[in-house]
Amino acid sequence: MWIFPVYWMVNTAFKPRPEVMTPTPHFVPAHPTLANFVKAVTQEQFLTNLVNSVIVVAATVVVSIVLGIFAAAALSRFRFRGRRTIMVVILAVQMLPGTALLIPMFVMFNNLDLLGTYAALVLAYVANVLPFSIWVMRGFFVTIPREIEEAAQLDGASTWRTLVSVLFPLVAPGVIATSIFAFIAAWNDYLFAYTFMQDQSRYTLPVWLASFTNPYTGTDFGGQMAASVLFSLPVVVFFLIIQRNLVSGMSAGAVKG
Amino acid sequence: MALLPARPRRRNLAPLWLLSPAGLVLALVTLVPIGFLVFTSFTDYNQRSLFTGAYSSVGVAQYSQLLASGAFWASLVRTVLFTAAMVAGSVVLGMGVSHLLTRLGRAWRYAVTVVLIVAWAMPNVASSLVWNWLFQPGYGVVNWALDQLRIFGDTTSLNWTQDPARAYVVIWLLIVWQAVPFIALTLNAAETQVPHEHLEAARMDGASEVTVYRRITLQHLRPTLLLVTILSVIWDYNVFNQIWLVSRGGPGDATSTLGVFTYKTAFVGFRVGQGAAISVVTTLLLLALTAVYIRNLLRSGEDL
Repeated sequence: MWIFPVYWMVNTAFKPRPEVMTPTPHFVPAHPTLANFVKAVTQEQFLTNLVNSVIVVAATVVVSIVLGIFAAAALSRFRFRGRRTIMVVILAVQMLPGTALLIPMFVMFNNLDLLGTYAALVLAYVANVLPFSIWVMRGFFVTIPREIEEAAQLDGASTWRTLVSVLFPLVAPGVIATSIFAFIAAWNDYLFAYTFMQDQSRYTLPVWLASFTNPYTGTDFGGQMAASVLFSLPVVVFFLIIQRNLVSGMSAGAVKG
Repeated sequence: MALLPARPRRRNLAPLWLLSPAGLVLALVTLVPIGFLVFTSFTDYNQRSLFTGAYSSVGVAQYSQLLASGAFWASLVRTVLFTAAMVAGSVVLGMGVSHLLTRLGRAWRYAVTVVLIVAWAMPNVASSLVWNWLFQPGYGVVNWALDQLRIFGDTTSLNWTQDPARAYVVIWLLIVWQAVPFIALTLNAAETQVPHEHLEAARMDGASEVTVYRRITLQHLRPTLLLVTILSVIWDYNVFNQIWLVSRGGPGDATSTLGVFTYKTAFVGFRVGQGAAISVVTTLLLLALTAVYIRNLLRSGEDL
């Protein structure tokens, strides 16, 4: 039951067109072919849109991790007034409906002439990704015993040095897991890209995928499924890599169900 | 850093400079837009305003118009009912799969886990397209399979998204399919923590498997179950992509839940001010749910 839709996607992707469009389905491709994949990647906008996706996603991940790691350190290694409030706000922002940010950002970016730019998308994604990045990385900081940094301070290390040379290396696995969560969230977004990037050459891959049709023959399901496989593959691989962290990332809404 | 009493000043200032870059950016990209959203909901911002920048304040007119609008109430009711159906389906199935996982041997458990993760990992744009293809009239494999059953007559050219009830079935299956893996794996993580002695003791006392599950396992799962349920409610309430890509909220407005309804109002009809008002109301309703979620998260021992 759970594997069938995935299987059907992969199966269709490898079938030549006559086998895709048959009243009686072929459960195994009789003449497996890579033609659909070739068609998908040689589509006019594929490379442009892939580059758009990579730029926007990379910028989102870097900005969110760099800003997030310091915030996470502050929220986990110090006790100060207002800390709890900040944590609650971070969590609440994470649960906002998409349109609550989409509508005002659309109007603001329209007024600032930013619609269709990478900056517009990166700002929108940082709004979605930074809160859970802080939350998840904080979870990793909390597990580091206090004695380690106390030892560093007794050795005369400054706050900054303790942070950068002692704590950051220790949370490296957490940073990697968080980067993957951030990558997935930005890579998968359809709503913001669809609304902000109103020109084909500016689309990111999810929008490209959703509008994937062959102008000559109507919806080309073989090509569309091949494109879906290509688009999903990095996410599935990443999920399998971080499977142990999946459950802990959930509570912050890092990966939506 | 280490809270050495000898360095009180450092203790006070470090969190400030560590937090402020992220804090400023977050305020800029979330709090400012939210403020602007509320502001927009009190204006007549529309398609013309997008070009000319001109709009005027209309007070609470957008809200009174909204509350008087049958389409809004219909959408709200639809959202509540559909969310309930999706959450109930995914939680019940998730519990079943989680329990199944505990009874499987190592190899099978590993295989099922991988399958669940793959289904969970599918980007929802891709899974929506796969769904459209599975339920395609004429060549879709689901229509073919139903046809083979010979219960519903000739179903080969059945169009799923042109009938409200069938459109709901398709979307429900899609959402539940992707939600079950997360729920099952989260619950399973908790279910493996249930002390074995308790289960054994109950079995020794002659309790049936059903009683053991209900009396012992379920008691241990309760906090996790609660969190998972609230989280599912929040997400399902917000679902947009799958509905948009499968049915565009149609036929007519039949599957336009609040997210889709807001989107159509603001970006298809370009009644941005009205869309903002719907979004504010949606957010307020959601905030109540979020408050419940955070309270429970705190109670379940998450240290903030």
